[in-house]
Amino acid sequence: MNIVLIILKWLFHILVFPGFLFTLCAALLLAGIDRKLVARMQNRVGPPLLQPAYDLLKLFGKEIIIPRQANKKAFLSAPAVGLASLLVTSLLLPFSASFVAVSGVADVIVVLYLLTIPAVAIIVGAASSASPFAGVGLSREMVAVMAYELPLTIVLVTVCRKAGLMMDESGMTFSLATVMQYQAEHGAMITKLSMIPAALAMLFIIPCEVGAHPFDIAEAETEICEGTLAEYSGLPLAFYELAHYVKMFILTSLFCVLFLGGFTTGVVVVDLILRLIFCVVVTFLCITVPHAVCARFKVEQVFKFYWTWVLGLALVSLLLVWLGL
Amino acid sequence: MLRKLIDESAAKSPWIYHINAGSCNGCDIELVSVLTPRYDAERCGFKLTGSPRHADIVVVSGPITVQTRDRVVRTLSQVPEPKVVVALGSCPRSGNVFKGSYSIDGPLDKYCHVDVSVAGCTPKPEAIIAGLAKAAEILKEKRKEMH
Amino acid sequence: MMQHFPILSIMVLFFGAFLNGIFGGKNAKARKIIVLASIFLSFLMVVAMTGPVMLEGQIISYWLGNWEPAMGFAFGIGLEVDAVGLFFGLIISTAVLVSGLYSFEYMSHDDALGYYYTLYLMLGGGVLGLVFSGCLFNIFVMVEIMTFSAVALTAFRNEKYGALEAAFKYLVVGSIGSTSVLVGTILLYNQTHTLNLAQIASILPSVSNGVTAVAFGFLFVGFATKAFLFPFQPLAADAHAVAPSSISVLISGVLTKTGVYGIIRLVYVLYQSMNLGPVKTLVVFIGTLSMFICVTMALAQHDFKRLLAFHSISQVGYVITAVGLSTALGVAGGLYHAMNHTLFKSLLFLTAGAVLHQTDTTNLDELGGLSKRMPKTTVLFLIGAASISGLPPFNGFASKWMIYQATFEAAAAQNNFGFALVGIIEMLTSVLTLASFIKVTQSVFFGQMPKKWENVKEVGNGMIIPMGILAALCVITGVAPSAVEKYLLAPATSAVYSVGKYINAMMGEGFAEGVSLSSETVAVDLGRSGYWNPLAWLALLGILLFGAFVAFVLLRKEAKTKESEAAEMFGSVDEKFEPFFSGERAEFSQVGGSDMFWGFKKVMRPYLDFMHDAHSGVVNDYVRWAVECLALVLLYCVLCGL
Repeated sequence: MNIVLIILKWLFHILVFPGFLFTLCAALLLAGIDRKLVARMQNRVGPPLLQPAYDLLKLFGKEIIIPRQANKKAFLSAPAVGLASLLVTSLLLPFSASFVAVSGVADVIVVLYLLTIPAVAIIVGAASSASPFAGVGLSREMVAVMAYELPLTIVLVTVCRKAGLMMDESGMTFSLATVMQYQAEHGAMITKLSMIPAALAMLFIIPCEVGAHPFDIAEAETEICEGTLAEYSGLPLAFYELAHYVKMFILTSLFCVLFLGGFTTGVVVVDLILRLIFCVVVTFLCITVPHAVCARFKVEQVFKFYWTWVLGLALVSLLLVWLGL
Repeated sequence: MLRKLIDESAAKSPWIYHINAGSCNGCDIELVSVLTPRYDAERCGFKLTGSPRHADIVVVSGPITVQTRDRVVRTLSQVPEPKVVVALGSCPRSGNVFKGSYSIDGPLDKYCHVDVSVAGCTPKPEAIIAGLAKAAEILKEKRKEMH
Repeated sequence: MMQHFPILSIMVLFFGAFLNGIFGGKNAKARKIIVLASIFLSFLMVVAMTGPVMLEGQIISYWLGNWEPAMGFAFGIGLEVDAVGLFFGLIISTAVLVSGLYSFEYMSHDDALGYYYTLYLMLGGGVLGLVFSGCLFNIFVMVEIMTFSAVALTAFRNEKYGALEAAFKYLVVGSIGSTSVLVGTILLYNQTHTLNLAQIASILPSVSNGVTAVAFGFLFVGFATKAFLFPFQPLAADAHAVAPSSISVLISGVLTKTGVYGIIRLVYVLYQSMNLGPVKTLVVFIGTLSMFICVTMALAQHDFKRLLAFHSISQVGYVITAVGLSTALGVAGGLYHAMNHTLFKSLLFLTAGAVLHQTDTTNLDELGGLSKRMPKTTVLFLIGAASISGLPPFNGFASKWMIYQATFEAAAAQNNFGFALVGIIEMLTSVLTLASFIKVTQSVFFGQMPKKWENVKEVGNGMIIPMGILAALCVITGVAPSAVEKYLLAPATSAVYSVGKYINAMMGEGFAEGVSLSSETVAVDLGRSGYWNPLAWLALLGILLFGAFVAFVLLRKEAKTKESEAAEMFGSVDEKFEPFFSGERAEFSQVGGSDMFWGFKKVMRPYLDFMHDAHSGVVNDYVRWAVECLALVLLYCVLCGL
């Protein structure tokens, strides 16, 4: 009886909340809001809020073309793997200090690695499609991953150290739940002076990790014909689009966990709404605004930007935290 | 029900792929202007894509020169079903002022079924939007015929 | 019976080499029987020892000629198998077994196979002897045996360009390493008047002086050279690239591990200096240097096997870094990664060998699209690549994750900012590793296929099965880290710290107490390693993949494929399924392996140029590297007064 209940609870977490269904809806909503906001900033009316959903549904009904030279299995399974690993990540992010869908494993390093899998899935899919445009795209995607991963690591270590100094006798914690706990007791990370550079760095990292506009070098549709996605059509393409939206939601959600964790009430529903509002704000700051005002970077510019300015911000924060400030 | 939803959204999210088959660039500029804040075709879900594999509506401008003929046909064949072909401007449907030139091998409907043709040299953005809206309707019909 | 297994498992291999030298020259069948019998027997004996050593915590010791120590002095030559030795013994005999099985098909195009297998068995025996030896001088002897057989095997395909040159470089620089071990041994003998490891360990703490510090430097450099660590032996890539792949497996999976084993023995058991700050700094610094510099070097390579060779140094750098942290978690993580490195790097070298066997090249710029022709090899390669890049749920992730935790914990506990930076470099290295394997994936297995590889076939089962074994081990050790931890890592880590027990097993009960060392088995606490539960995640991933699959099947029916208009226009070829090429007819055009990450390369150009010039390929330069590094390490040891 007990086992059945546990399994049912797991299934509920995986399929409904905060897994499949909830993440999907939240991600689509977030993407819709993003597109609408970009349009408003450019003085346009913009597409309807549900436009991402329409796009997906339309892609479901399109023909799937698999190029003759492509490796069929890798070509079709890569998008599914990418999406699945993102949905697994969504189960790891705590919503408040008390609620994590799968507790005990909310580990920062696991999240970091799970977040690289979608990029790897895109790359493997692109490589298997045997298109020269995809070849260029995947090389750019990998350079982007190399670019943002270094500052991202430092930001995560900084947060772990900051929370661990107070909450863990070893002086370091890797549990996201503990990070939330710390913020519930001592106020949100963003209110600490030493964490502000790290938060800024994280705001710069999110658009590159998502592949949003000024950093969408891998899918530059005007120069390399959608790059990594050049050969995809129909359902697999829909999976990639969906992964893109879900990634946007998960990363902004991660930002909320790391830096805005203190603002919780303990009531799950209220926390949920708060979280969604924060997500929209973060999305507006780091995805919508650059999208509306910036032109696309070149590959080596992206790399240089992340390994100088963003890295510098993250390191300043790490040093400050290490000095106990 | 899912099928019905898919049919409905076919008309609401038409992605455009643009082929220049020897055009003088007039129509191309007008097509881009359709997406600017003034006309904002994104209201209806229109979006320019970079690869024919993603496209629903293929917009062809220009009088189909000998040089571009094979490339146009090849690219058109690489668009997944359902797809709608829109001829933009007078060139692809008649050859316009280039008609009779040794280097022209038009019109477009020699090579494929043209669903919508927007006349004019160049057509006004309003006309292009009207044509694209018509194309989106045809797209929905084609989608319904697929099953 | 069990106490004879250490010597028998070594002797079986040497005896096999001897028999093969006599009977195996011409007769292929006799050769096969001899080789198979000796590697299987040796493997079984090593596995049989896991029962008492790993599970019951015994230490098996054996005195040759039954010359046991008398009056507290070890006269004879002893073998001593504790959990660390056996841990490395298991790794080694697995790699030797797999490499041997693989050789039969892989080497079928070559001649003079009698010599090949003789040298191969001697290499295996030498390495196994090294980790089981309880005598410092025998360690030197085994180092020499394995180095010289490895040199000869590197030059085995001497019809190939560069084979003799690489072997010559290896011979010269390898000799510096061996000599360094010998000099260290002599200095230690001078100070302690014994060669037995256990007895030296019991005497050394009381006679610590300048000479022992210099001896430490010599031994450390010697073992670091054997582990191919970065500043000491920059020619690993040359040797790997020309050696047959089955030998590259042994060089990267086995020879480097003996260096790691030597360093662990030296630092933890002989000198018991794991708590000294300067030693920690030295080991972690060397490890981090190898880890980071070699991964950037690997990114710039355009030869499959050279790339793998640089990665193997980089991964050994991880191991050394983790070991140098001198925490229980660090040692356990390091040992775990050492094991995993042997598994996935062997797998990758074997897939490289499969590609080489079928296409006769390993140049990344020439290959491409082989996944259509070699699907099994591709899957096996992807498993290996995911493991080495540390993607969950494969084994590389489990061990790297342990190493990260150990590093950051050590950094936090000692408030050491340097260790925090080391941890960040570890994570960065992991990403760069991923990048270079993406490069291999794209330019060998995926991407477009050049015309000339259209008739390439999949390799036979003789090669697929050994690779499959390794791939299966990669997955098993990745999804069941708690079992690995319980049965292998915890005993081995505990053995690293239980010096007194090691001494007593060799020198008789009560000896360690005589020099005020506790002979208790030190219990290790590998706490913190419980967050990651891969089975749960595999189940989750499985559910989601199943969901995705259902969606695929349901929606696939929606899409229908029609003959395209272009097919009617152009005749037979249906252009719809050709890759989109901006309307042109598709032709071969793809980003070559060497141009893959030009955004990265452009920014890092000054650094990469410097590294390129430093790896000049001239043996004189490499000798200079080795000698200068030796001098620096000696200076460091004396100045810090170890």
